[in-house]
Amino acid sequence: MGKHASSGKYAIVGLGVVAGPQPDRSERMIAAEAARLAIADAGLTRADIGGAIDLRRTGGGGDRASYSDAFTRVLGIKNNFYFTCGRGGALAGLGMAATMSYLDRGIADYVVLMGAVTDWSQSQETRKKGFRGMAHAEKRGYWGKPLGDSRAVSHHSWMAARHMAVYGTTSAQLGAISVAERQWACMNPEAKMYGRPITVEDHQNSPLVAEPYHLLDMSQVSDGGIAFILTTADRAKDCAKPPVYVLGQGFGEVSADLWWEKKNFTHMAVEPAKKQAFGQADITLDDVDCAQLYDCFTAEVLFQLEDYGWCKKGEGGAFVADGNMAPGGSIPVNTGGGLLSCYHLGDLTGLAESVRQLRGEAGERQIEDCDIVLTTGHGGELVSPGMCSIHTCTLLGRHA
Amino acid sequence: MNINPQSYTVDLDWKKPYPSIDHDNEAFWDGLKEHKLLVWKCKQCGAVYWPKAYCQNHDNEPFAANCEWTEASGRGKIFAFNIHHWAFHPGFKEEVPYVYALIELDEGPLISSQLVGGDLPTDIHTVGQTVEIVYEDHPAQGFTLPKFRVVRE
Repeated sequence: MGKHASSGKYAIVGLGVVAGPQPDRSERMIAAEAARLAIADAGLTRADIGGAIDLRRTGGGGDRASYSDAFTRVLGIKNNFYFTCGRGGALAGLGMAATMSYLDRGIADYVVLMGAVTDWSQSQETRKKGFRGMAHAEKRGYWGKPLGDSRAVSHHSWMAARHMAVYGTTSAQLGAISVAERQWACMNPEAKMYGRPITVEDHQNSPLVAEPYHLLDMSQVSDGGIAFILTTADRAKDCAKPPVYVLGQGFGEVSADLWWEKKNFTHMAVEPAKKQAFGQADITLDDVDCAQLYDCFTAEVLFQLEDYGWCKKGEGGAFVADGNMAPGGSIPVNTGGGLLSCYHLGDLTGLAESVRQLRGEAGERQIEDCDIVLTTGHGGELVSPGMCSIHTCTLLGRHA
Repeated sequence: MNINPQSYTVDLDWKKPYPSIDHDNEAFWDGLKEHKLLVWKCKQCGAVYWPKAYCQNHDNEPFAANCEWTEASGRGKIFAFNIHHWAFHPGFKEEVPYVYALIELDEGPLISSQLVGGDLPTDIHTVGQTVEIVYEDHPAQGFTLPKFRVVRE
């Protein structure tokens, strides 16, 4: 077969991160700052940027910003295009796919992709009104709202529950995922939970939120912004930092599965996405040095470990309990702490970590000889029982 | 709350989120008010859907011509469930802990709702319990909510 013609043809050359609570900044100011940092990181100027994509959640967390107040205007980018892109937590994967088309046709030489959220700040406001969680989750529009389906955890926890019922997976095994990610976070000074290690016992003792999920099965609620600069491989060589090449990308949807086939409650749409991405890159799972798997809740990590084939379906619980995804394990997963322990900026969290690992910028948690990283995203419309129907798989490499 | 009848009336101020009733599901919500659980059935092959969709088994156009709302048995089995210990919305404060279940209707489709009454499941690893619909009428609000209770077999 060999590599697809597109493999290694595009690269991430800039990364900008604004992390931690931003109570005094609007979403668009966070966005503009992340973009500014990414442009500087690439050794470029605002004038070089030809297009911008605003990575924005849809469904449960979407359509809450004023699109006309684009961060590009704030920052003074004279871009040829600007649009919003995303689906639940599948943001960067989709945005990158679109970007490559613009680069390919010379519509822009450098494109900035940016995602910003103020979920943490919003949660502080909603708490004053007696609600838990983010204000935008209060909007109408999905089935179970009057029936007690209040938050993402209301239906995501079924996926864990179903896996537990079908395969005998235990809450303590899910806890091992939380513990492993916290171990990674404790090596990442940027992580929310840096310096706060936990044990499986801590996980078991954390409050039950929507059983089987404890508080420590759930991802962070965060403020922040992450921006990337993408360009073509030939231009990438002249940028300030080592290029991170896009080796392959794949996508899968199980929206029909989850409504009608009832299969997706113990798996993600990995199969088609994996086939496409690994086919383009012409590599196998053994070539992957570490993985940044979308982890809005613990069970999603378990599903993906099984779906990609690091272990068999149903054996994910034992696999994680054996420490396979933790530091020193057979497949390091979510090496920056992930959404569970670092911060929640959709799949941008994992993508930022992938870039750092491939550049050798990951400090204490750096994976030795890290050549290839797998990053995933997923998202849906939060219309229970359907959720997380899309899965994105992005393979990045140190070498084209 | 121990609920025995097939339906009960709650005529208080509504403090929870309202149901989203639109063109696609208006008939479904009207059915609930008459204490009927409607599902969307293909007249050609008998496949049953909820919510409304094109039949997945064959091309069917125009959209509405091949399918119709039909009354379901109102019975099903628990496919997965969770127990909400936190009330994210203040309207649920007095109900926690409550069981929110994914139910596989006897006709096939999945539907989700809160379980009410006694015999509520507690072990997440145990699924497949038989449930049946309980109609929670809210006449002052003009809608009926479909809830489910565990049936002792």
